Amino acid sequence: MSLVNLRGRVAWIFAEDDFDIDLIVGVRNIKITDVSELAALAMADYLPDFASTVQKGDVLIGGRNFGYGHPHYPAMRAMRHLGISCVIAESFSPGFFRGEMSMGFPLVTCPGIRAAVARGDALEVNWDTSAVRITRTGQTLPLQPFSASERGMLDAGGLIPYLKARTAAARNPGAHAP
Amino acid sequence: MPHTMTEKILARASGKESVKPGEEITARPDFVISYDFPGYTDVFFKETREDFGIDKVSSPERFVLFIDHMVPAAAPKEEELHKITRAWGKEQGVPVYEREGIGHQVAAELGYATPGGFVVHFDGHVSQLGAFGSFAFGARKGVIESFVTENVTMTVPATVKVELVGTLQPGVMARDVFHHMVRVMGPASCCFKAVELCGPVIDQMSIEGRQTICGQAMFLGATTMLIAPDAKTLAYVAGRSKVDLAPVYPDADAVYERVVTIDVSALEPIVVVPPSPANTRDLKDYVGVEVHTGYLGSCASGRLEDLRVAAQVLRGRRIQPGFQLHVVPTSKAIMAAAAREGLIECLVEAGAFISSPSCDYCFGRIATMSAGQRAVSTGTLNTPGRMGSVDSEIYICNAAVVAASALEGRIADPRPYLVEAAAAAGAAS
Repeated sequence: MSLVNLRGRVAWIFAEDDFDIDLIVGVRNIKITDVSELAALAMADYLPDFASTVQKGDVLIGGRNFGYGHPHYPAMRAMRHLGISCVIAESFSPGFFRGEMSMGFPLVTCPGIRAAVARGDALEVNWDTSAVRITRTGQTLPLQPFSASERGMLDAGGLIPYLKARTAAARNPGAHAP
Repeated sequence: MPHTMTEKILARASGKESVKPGEEITARPDFVISYDFPGYTDVFFKETREDFGIDKVSSPERFVLFIDHMVPAAAPKEEELHKITRAWGKEQGVPVYEREGIGHQVAAELGYATPGGFVVHFDGHVSQLGAFGSFAFGARKGVIESFVTENVTMTVPATVKVELVGTLQPGVMARDVFHHMVRVMGPASCCFKAVELCGPVIDQMSIEGRQTICGQAMFLGATTMLIAPDAKTLAYVAGRSKVDLAPVYPDADAVYERVVTIDVSALEPIVVVPPSPANTRDLKDYVGVEVHTGYLGSCASGRLEDLRVAAQVLRGRRIQPGFQLHVVPTSKAIMAAAAREGLIECLVEAGAFISSPSCDYCFGRIATMSAGQRAVSTGTLNTPGRMGSVDSEIYICNAAVVAASALEGRIADPRPYLVEAAAAAGAAS
């Protein structure tokens, strides 16, 4: 399994800097563990029918320092359940970045993305060239490349499968990692 | 080649001669710290055993667990979680500290904060061990790597040097200094950076104040924050440190991504208004706002100097009838010291509700607000809903402001009370 290039639409633009992702499901709901329940609540304070507008592969756009605050997991669990494939933001808060990447969920930094897209725009994300193309405008913006371990984690589908492959390879150095 | 403290600590922890910002390293934490929380520790224990077939973590002496959330338990499933934690600790030979206080503070008291140390936790507020010259950061669920491989993979952050100069005015506390830094530098100013804090204001500041500031690094966007050890640090860690490391200092000609100098001489008490820790404002613009509850505690504040200043404000007075003032010392050791100093008696007589140490007030598990209520709080976060209803509000401020606001039932400036207390103390001596 490896990270596949994406085609998706901009499902939502979080225009504000320092966005606290708890607001996506509402702080009152962050203790809910059932993912379909969380998904049904996602964005209720922004766009009540958000869930029905999302298509598999859609992406979220964020501003600077996206994920500021305490980076709890329910918001992005809900978003993944709805079909959101990645978040492209001006920049991320490090705790949020690390936490979600370890779930195998790509968060990618792209200075200029917020102003370059409108909701509904079709995007093509190419991980190998680290670029995103906005179909409507034809504009291509560079993505900040992942580090080796970040890419490995995403290719493996998350930190746990990545570590499993790494530890297996360490135990059996002659074999190829799966 | 000259290096920052961050680069030196991470070079040592990754077994390299030197490291540079942007370089990916695999580093061995001196300590792996966690508190038990559903979806984190219970999952780490299960994954370590079931996904990786590891029955025993290697070097269990590097691990430590705290039970500080959901203390005391209010539901059987909470106590079940604590039982899982106790059992895992016993089976692994990993110490579990329960009801000793908030782990980030107790870790320092127990000697897990060492100048030059490299520490990982899942929770980012562990950055407060940076007050002792440790590089301590929150890896979220990435901490599982340390359970199964002994190491953690990370990218070396660039370092921002922040020098605090000038003299703090009376009534201005470390809490004000940190939120002023957010106001001046911006909440995204240090994304993925390590902040190395220095300057005469830090030199003068207590260890407790330094913990307050370093623990909130995440609200500058930073990965962590640290302070070079000085005589105060070395005196604190002497006889406590669980690992013998040479203290690490930055080279005089170290290369920083940026150097920021902030003069705090004109700083007055602040308030951080909802809905985000990014919103630092002058206290004076919010004096008079009606508030219903106050929280003095958390890993950020709730230490002896916070309790002392609250007692100065409250001594011989009664809080507003109907106002709920919750005072939660950060650790049992702090609570005991406060009792010895007579602070607990003073706070109780003023009408405060005193609790043994617990994280639970900070995230609204107890002392929960209903819609329309407002709190003054020394907790970490003011996101709507953090301490109860999403229609309640949290104003973050220093401990003296919490105490003064409790007296008036409105956001209040504590400085007149402190001046009076100082005059009374002067007259008595």
